[in-house]
Amino acid sequence: MAAAVSIQGLTKTYLDVWSKTEIRAVDNLTLEVEEGEIFGFLGRNGAGKTTTIKMLLGLIFPTLGTATVLGKPIGDTDAKAQVSYLPEEAYFYEGMTGWDTMDFYARLFRIPEPKRSERIRQCLKDVFLDESAWRRPIRGYSKGMRQRIGIAQALINDPKLLFLDEPTSGLDPIAHAELREIIVNVGRQGKTVFLSSHQLPDVELTCSRVAIIHRGKLLTSGKTQELTAGDKVEITFSGGDAALAEKVKAVAGTCEAKNGTCRVPAVDPQKVNDIVDLIRGAKASVVSVVPHRRTLEEVFVDTVMKAGAN
Amino acid sequence: MTASTRRNLIAAIVVLFALTVVLQVRIDPTVADMNQGRKTPFAGLSTEFILGPLLGMQQAVAGLLWVRADEFFHEGDYDAILPMVRIVTWLDPHNLDVYITGAWHLAYNFTDSSERSDRRYIPAAQKLLEEGDANNPGVYDIAFELGWQNTDKIKDYVRAHYWYKKCAEERKGMDERGELTQPVPMFVWHQLAHSLARLGRIDECIAVWRKALAMSTEIVRKDPKDYSKRNVRDSERHNLELTLKRKFSRYQHEIDWELDGKLTKGIDPITGEPRPRDSYLFLNQDEIQRKLEQFKIVGETPPPMAVGQPRPPAVVPKWETAFDVRPTFTADKVLELKGRFNVGDGARVTIRLHDEDWRPPQLKEFTFDIDQNVTLMQDQHSVRQGTWGRKIDMSKDPKMYSFKSPYYFLVFEFDPRGTSPFVHDRFGWSGEGMTDKKYLWEEKEKDPPNRILRKVYRISRAQVLRRTPITEADVFPTAKYVELQTQAQGTRSE
Amino acid sequence: MVTLAIAKQTLEDMLRRKILLILLIVAVAMIALGPSVGFLSPRESSAVLRSLGLAVILLAGLLITVLTGIQVIPTEIERRTVYTVLSKPVQRYEFVLGKFLGGLFTVFVMIASMGIVFIGVLRYQEGRFATEMIQGVMMTFFQMTLLGALAIFFSTFATPVVNFFLSFGLFIVGNMSAVTESLLNNKNVATRLIAGAVHYAIPNFGNFNIQNKLIHPQVVIKDMNVFIMQNIAYALIYSAVLLLLAIIVFDRREV
Ligand SMILES: Nc1ncnc2c1ncn2[C@@H]1O[C@H](COP(=O)(O)OP(=O)(O)O)[C@@H](O)[C@H]1O
Ligand SMILES: [Mg+2]
Repeated sequence: MAAAVSIQGLTKTYLDVWSKTEIRAVDNLTLEVEEGEIFGFLGRNGAGKTTTIKMLLGLIFPTLGTATVLGKPIGDTDAKAQVSYLPEEAYFYEGMTGWDTMDFYARLFRIPEPKRSERIRQCLKDVFLDESAWRRPIRGYSKGMRQRIGIAQALINDPKLLFLDEPTSGLDPIAHAELREIIVNVGRQGKTVFLSSHQLPDVELTCSRVAIIHRGKLLTSGKTQELTAGDKVEITFSGGDAALAEKVKAVAGTCEAKNGTCRVPAVDPQKVNDIVDLIRGAKASVVSVVPHRRTLEEVFVDTVMKAGAN
Repeated sequence: MTASTRRNLIAAIVVLFALTVVLQVRIDPTVADMNQGRKTPFAGLSTEFILGPLLGMQQAVAGLLWVRADEFFHEGDYDAILPMVRIVTWLDPHNLDVYITGAWHLAYNFTDSSERSDRRYIPAAQKLLEEGDANNPGVYDIAFELGWQNTDKIKDYVRAHYWYKKCAEERKGMDERGELTQPVPMFVWHQLAHSLARLGRIDECIAVWRKALAMSTEIVRKDPKDYSKRNVRDSERHNLELTLKRKFSRYQHEIDWELDGKLTKGIDPITGEPRPRDSYLFLNQDEIQRKLEQFKIVGETPPPMAVGQPRPPAVVPKWETAFDVRPTFTADKVLELKGRFNVGDGARVTIRLHDEDWRPPQLKEFTFDIDQNVTLMQDQHSVRQGTWGRKIDMSKDPKMYSFKSPYYFLVFEFDPRGTSPFVHDRFGWSGEGMTDKKYLWEEKEKDPPNRILRKVYRISRAQVLRRTPITEADVFPTAKYVELQTQAQGTRSE
Repeated sequence: MVTLAIAKQTLEDMLRRKILLILLIVAVAMIALGPSVGFLSPRESSAVLRSLGLAVILLAGLLITVLTGIQVIPTEIERRTVYTVLSKPVQRYEFVLGKFLGGLFTVFVMIASMGIVFIGVLRYQEGRFATEMIQGVMMTFFQMTLLGALAIFFSTFATPVVNFFLSFGLFIVGNMSAVTESLLNNKNVATRLIAGAVHYAIPNFGNFNIQNKLIHPQVVIKDMNVFIMQNIAYALIYSAVLLLLAIIVFDRREV
C-alpha cells in the first residue's frame, strides 16, 4: 500500500526571542502514514503535533527534512486538492452563514455549480448540522456546531486525506461521541485520516495505527493493537476443587476463588497451556482465557514517562 | 515559488518600476501646471491646517482660514490678516477675493493716528495683486483691482492704464461654472477711458467711449428690457458727450477741425446718422463762439484744419499759478505748512516726506515685511481761495515715522492729471495752460507731456527736530530730485 | 475564480465592519451638509463646496483604504482563518491578490457612494450635473488604489500599527511631490539626490490631486485626458510593483 504521508527527518526550530535559545518544535521526525488508515498522532500539549501538520500543509516551512503528501512534495496544488484540514480550533469568518462559509470553501476547491450546492448540502447533512442553522451567521454557533461545520468544510472536496488537529477537544460527551462516529465513518469510506489528539480513548477506538511524539521527537509508532497488547493473560475457570486451586497457584502464583469461580489474573503466556491442561485434567471448565491488554493511556503514560526519565 | 519564478518576478518589478519613473517624468510638468502659484506652506501653520494641504485639500482649508481672517477684519486686527492672506493664497492661489481684500488691507488699512495710510505697504499690495493676476491668467478681477489701486491710491495713471487696458482687452469674466466665457463688465471699459483721460490721451479716451457705447448699444438691442444695461449705455453716451464737450472747450483751436467734420452738420459722431443739433452742447454756433471768447488765446491760433488731418500741437490759455509753500516744524516732528496756489477751490496739493535715499521699491516677490526704518509720509490738502495750510503731526506714530535717516526730501506737488474737471477747464488735461515762475516742471518723458508743479526741500533730521529752521536755502532742484529718484530706481531693480 | 472568491469574501467581510459604515455615514452627512458652509462670497462658495466635498471623499477614502489595507491580510492570520484557506488548493499569490481586490472593491463601493451623494448635492445646489467632478472622484479612487497596494505590501511583513504609520507617512511624503519636484533643481547635490529618490521611488500620491483644476476651471492644463490616463497608468503600474513585492514576501511568510 502506498504512503499517504511520508515524512523524512522533518525538523522545525524556532528561536526563542527572550532566552535566545532554540526551540525544536519538531525534531528529526520520520513517519509514514499508509493510505486508508486512521492514523493517531499523539503527544502532550506542545509536543509538536500542530507544527508537523502545518508543515505538511505548507503553512510553515521545515527547517530541515522533507515530506510528501499523497506522493507529492509539500505545497503541491494537485495534492492539496485532495487533502483537507481541520485546524486545532476551527476558525471562521464569524459574520458568514454556515452555508456561505461552505460555499466559499467549495469555490476555493473550484467546485462548480450545481455540484457545489449538492456537495454543501451533503456535507452539512453528514456532520448532522441542524438545517435551521445553515443560514445563520457562525457568530451564533455553539462549540459543537462550529466543530461540525469545521468537519463539513474538511469534507467538501471529498478528500483522500484529512488532517484533523485535535478535533474532539472541548466537546461535550455526546458531541464527542458523534464526532467520533463521523470520523469512523470517514475511515470506512477508505479515506486516510491523520488525527492529532491527546484524547487517548478516542484514538484507541478509532485509530488503526498511532505514533507518539514528545518534545518534537518520535517516541514510538505502531499498530494500536500491538502497542496495547499486554504480556500476561487472565484465565478464569469454574469447578475444580481446592487441590486444583493449589496446583494452579503453584504454577501461576495466584488464584482467587470466589463463588466456585477461580480467576488467575496474570499468567505468563508460556504457562497458559500448562495451566489449561491442569484445569482440564481436573475436569473443571475453562470459562475464559483473555490476553491482558493495556489501555492506550497506559501505553502513552508509560512511554512518555520513560522518555521523560531519560 | 521556485527560484526562477522569483527571479522573473523581480525582473518584472524592475521593469515596471522603471516605467513608473518614466511616467512620473511625463506627469511632472502637468502637475506643475496644476499647482500654478501654489506653494506648500509648513511654517506658521497649526497642525490642524497642515495635514489638509498636504493631502491636497488646499481649497477647503483655505476657505476655512479665510473665514477666520474675516473675523479678524471685523475685529480690526489687520496685522493678523496679512499672514492669513499669505497662507490662504499659497493654499488656494485661485481665491481672487483673498488677493483683492488682502491688497486692499495693505494699501488702505494701515494708517497713522491721523488716518494717513502707511504707504510703505503699497509696493507689497501691488505685488500681491500682480502675483494673484499671474496665478489666475485670463481672469479680469485682479487686473481691474490693480488698475483701481493705481488710480485711486497711487495715482500712477500710466500703470493704471496699463492694467485697465490689459483687463479690458485680454481678460474675461467667469460664468457660474467658473469658466472664463464672459466678456468683462462694461465698467472695465469705463475705467479704461477714465485712465486715458488721466493720461491726457483724450482722443483715445473718446475712442474707448465710442467703443463702449457701441458695445452697450448692441447689448441693449439684444435685451431691451434690462434697465441697468440701458443705464450703462446712457452713462456712456453722457460721458462721451461730456468728453467731447470738454475737449472742444479746452482745446478750442481744434474746434474748427472737428466742426468741419461732423458736429456742425448735425451728424451723430457715433452712428453717422443725422441728429438734432441740440444734442451736443456745442452744436450751437453761438455757444461755440461764446466759449471761444471765454479764453484768451496765448500764442498763435493754428490754422483751421481739414477732417482727418493730424491734431495740431495743443495750445491753451496760459494761467499763472503762483505756487509756493513755506514749511516749518512747530514742534518735534510736527510740520506746519502755509501755501499759496492760484487755482480754483478744491484742487489738491500732494505733500510727501521721505528718506533721502528712499525709492519706490521694486519688489521681486510679495512680502509684507517692510523696512520699519524707512520714513515715508504722504498727505494731500485742498486749496481754498488761493491759499492752503496744514498741520502734519508725525510725532505720535514712531513706528511709521522713525526718522532714522539723516536727510529727507520734503516734496510739494500738483499734478493736473489727477485733478478735477473744473481745474482741467483752466489748464487742460496735461497742464498745457499752466505756468509758474518758480516751480513748473515738465514731464517730457510722458506722452503726451505733462506739466506739473513741484517744490522740493532737502532737510536734515536736525531740522525735523527743530535744531535748525527750514529756509529757502534748503530748496532742492527738481531736476536733480527727479534724476536721483529715477536713477536709483534703475539700479535697484537690477 | 479562486482570487475572485477571496475578493468577494473580503468585500463582504469588510462591509460588515461597523467602523467603515460609520465613516461612510459621517462622510455622506458632511457632504450633504456642505451647502450650509458655503457662506463665503458667492463666487467662492461653489469652490468651497466642491473643495469640501472632494476633501471629505479623500479623507474618508483615505481612512477606509488604510484601515482596509492594513488589516485584510493580518486579520486572516490573527483569526487563523488563513489556515483553512491556504491549506486548500489556493496559491499564495491568489490569496494576496484576492485580499487586495477585496479591499479595493470595498474602497470602490465606499468612494462611489460618497461620489454619488456629492454629485447629487452639486446637482441640487447648482442645477446641473457636475460631470467633471467624476474625474476628481475617480482620481481619488486611483490614488487610493495605489495606497491600498502600499498598505497590502507592508501588511505582508509589518504589524497593523506599524503599517498604519508607514502607509500614512508615505502617503503624506508622497503628497509633497510639488516640494520634491522643486528640490530636484537644488544646488546641493545631496538634497537633489534625496529629493530625486523621494520623488521617483516613493509612490507619488501628489500626482492625483487635481482638485485645483476642478475647482478653478481657469487653471490651464495642456491635455487633461492625457494627464488622467497617465495617472491611472501610474497608479496601476505602481500598484502592480507593490503587489508583486507583496507576493514575493508573502510567499515565504509563515502563517
Ligand atoms: N511560532 C512559534 N514560535 C515559537 N515557538 C513555537 C511556535 N509555534 C510553536 N512553537 C513551539 O513549538 C512547540 C510545539 O508546538 P505545537 O506544535 O503547537 O504543539 P502541539 O500541537 O503538539 O500542542 C511548542 O513548544 C510551542 O511553544
Ligand atoms: Mg496543537
